[in-house]
Amino acid sequence: MEALKPANPLEMIAYVLSLQIRDHQVVYVGTGLPMVAAILARKTHAPHITMVYESGGQDPIPGDMPWSVGDPFTWRKSALIQEMAYSFAQAYNGYVDIAFLGFAQVDMYGNVNTHQIGADFLHPKVRLTGSGGNNDLTSLTENIVLVGLHAPDKFPLRVDFITSVGHLNGGDSRKEAGLPGNGPVAVVTNAGVLDFEPVTKRMRVQSLQPGMTFDLAQICTGFELLRPDGDIPVTPVPDPAILEILRTQVDPHGVFTKIPGL
Amino acid sequence: MGIFSYSREALENLRIADPAILAPLVDVESARKAHLTKDHAKRDKRMSLRDAIAEFVQDGDIATDSGFAYVRTPHQAYFEMMRQGKKGLHFIGSPNTNQSYLINYGVCAYSHNSYVGAEMRGSDRNYSRQLLNGRVTILSEWSHGSMAQGFKAAQLGAPGVFSKQLLGSDILRFNPYVKVMQNPMRVDPDPVTFIPALYPDVTVIHVHAADKYGNARIYGPAVNDVALAAAARKVIITAEEIVPEMDMRYNNQGVVIPFVCVDAVVELPYGAVPGNMPGCYYWSRQWWEKFLRWGTLSDENIREFLDYWVMDSKDPFDFVEKLGGAKWVALSRRMTKTAEYDNEDDGYNFAYQSYKPGSDSGIYY
Repeated sequence: MEALKPANPLEMIAYVLSLQIRDHQVVYVGTGLPMVAAILARKTHAPHITMVYESGGQDPIPGDMPWSVGDPFTWRKSALIQEMAYSFAQAYNGYVDIAFLGFAQVDMYGNVNTHQIGADFLHPKVRLTGSGGNNDLTSLTENIVLVGLHAPDKFPLRVDFITSVGHLNGGDSRKEAGLPGNGPVAVVTNAGVLDFEPVTKRMRVQSLQPGMTFDLAQICTGFELLRPDGDIPVTPVPDPAILEILRTQVDPHGVFTKIPGL
Repeated sequence: MGIFSYSREALENLRIADPAILAPLVDVESARKAHLTKDHAKRDKRMSLRDAIAEFVQDGDIATDSGFAYVRTPHQAYFEMMRQGKKGLHFIGSPNTNQSYLINYGVCAYSHNSYVGAEMRGSDRNYSRQLLNGRVTILSEWSHGSMAQGFKAAQLGAPGVFSKQLLGSDILRFNPYVKVMQNPMRVDPDPVTFIPALYPDVTVIHVHAADKYGNARIYGPAVNDVALAAAARKVIITAEEIVPEMDMRYNNQGVVIPFVCVDAVVELPYGAVPGNMPGCYYWSRQWWEKFLRWGTLSDENIREFLDYWVMDSKDPFDFVEKLGGAKWVALSRRMTKTAEYDNEDDGYNFAYQSYKPGSDSGIYY
């Protein structure tokens, strides 16, 4: 039998992200890799999670990969579909355990930019999508996990626009701004998993993907990363059975996890 | 009209010289007056799409992007605004994705922005270009949820709601409306945002079924449309089908929009094409991909694309013919009903040939 190709970087991110989910949790899911990770978790270690989408979908039965967060697969035979204002309200009222969100830029305090590249709002280098639900979920949800590719321009010292407040200026500043919840608890990238040091709330390496070193992760980051005490653990790698599920059942058309040439 | 207080910092950051342009969105008095003076009688409000857009959409109105970007969104009504040459509208919605191409035709000139783009199909290069060229002016920035709260406040009949969204973010520095305050219920420090009730001038809502009076039924995500119907000064319903009033009375669990709000009822099968209409038709995925990956590359491309699809189509039937006609109708219905698990999914394959510049299959499923 032909040996299974090792996980590509996007598949690794999806797998590592899926490990952030525990069974029976309510998971608020953004588009792309968050959807892949949540569906993978449901097909592996967390079969009883409840998935929530901002277009109103809630607890759909399993199906194909949604094309968008408004896709019928996000509300497939849902018992109810919430209006948008009510859907986000669940996060504020404490009914959502964890939310997964993407970013165009993230800084050392987990503040997220999805608005623009370039600091001038009226004349940005590139205008991006704007907030969508990113600010709402980051403001309201108890635990946030951010996901994206690791590169210096995506991890700048200062984001060009604070779309969503993570830990703001560190310390207690998120709470002082009036925001509930723990804020971002992890950032999952192709370098590994980062968390936030409990007192300063600065981004810290938690684990590194196989072959990745702290120095290499630092080179890919536009600010100084904190180093954990002791040896840095290696991020787990999916075993062949999980990779098989990811490739054949979760994202069979490779919409979100295929990389041309790999 | 009320006298309003706007964030000075946001006015400066957005370079809004005359804040009078901001007032109608939060002016409950004029919205209430519009609601009081419109015809409350339960009478037959059916008319053509052309007449509804001509009569109820005025240049400069605050219009909405309804549905969810390309789910149950009244694209065909937007297309009619383009064909009639409507000018200088403000667009508001969460999401507000469809404002983008309307800018190229002058329909949209101002934006109350929450999100514009197509998720994994990338950020919208056209919107970025129109913004840099000054063809659209942003009047306020929002998140989806905070804007949804503004619409919901209007539906609640409340001047606004206190919220925990937007706190600490740069969005506040570009939103003249939202205030940060101390929660009046608390003694200990507790910052909150005050989100005012939002009153658009006109909303078009595409629904599955309506009766001739305007009672309207939605299947699938309602998103913000129930609130929008209550808030907007003028409401146009476009419907896949017009049913007898008795159908509404017997199947009353899905009636979400009451006829008193509604000014016009338009029988408009395929009114959400090329978007997804739950139970009726799936997205034309390649259409959107071609639009985003090729159309948005330049003003010339988008013109060529939309001139063919929109300006050279007189109605949704023309559009559906170009998509593939009866075969498209059948396959597209099969696809959405399979996604919703109302058709058998065993053996069904959702794979499709994604659009790539230079290899246009001409198929739009």
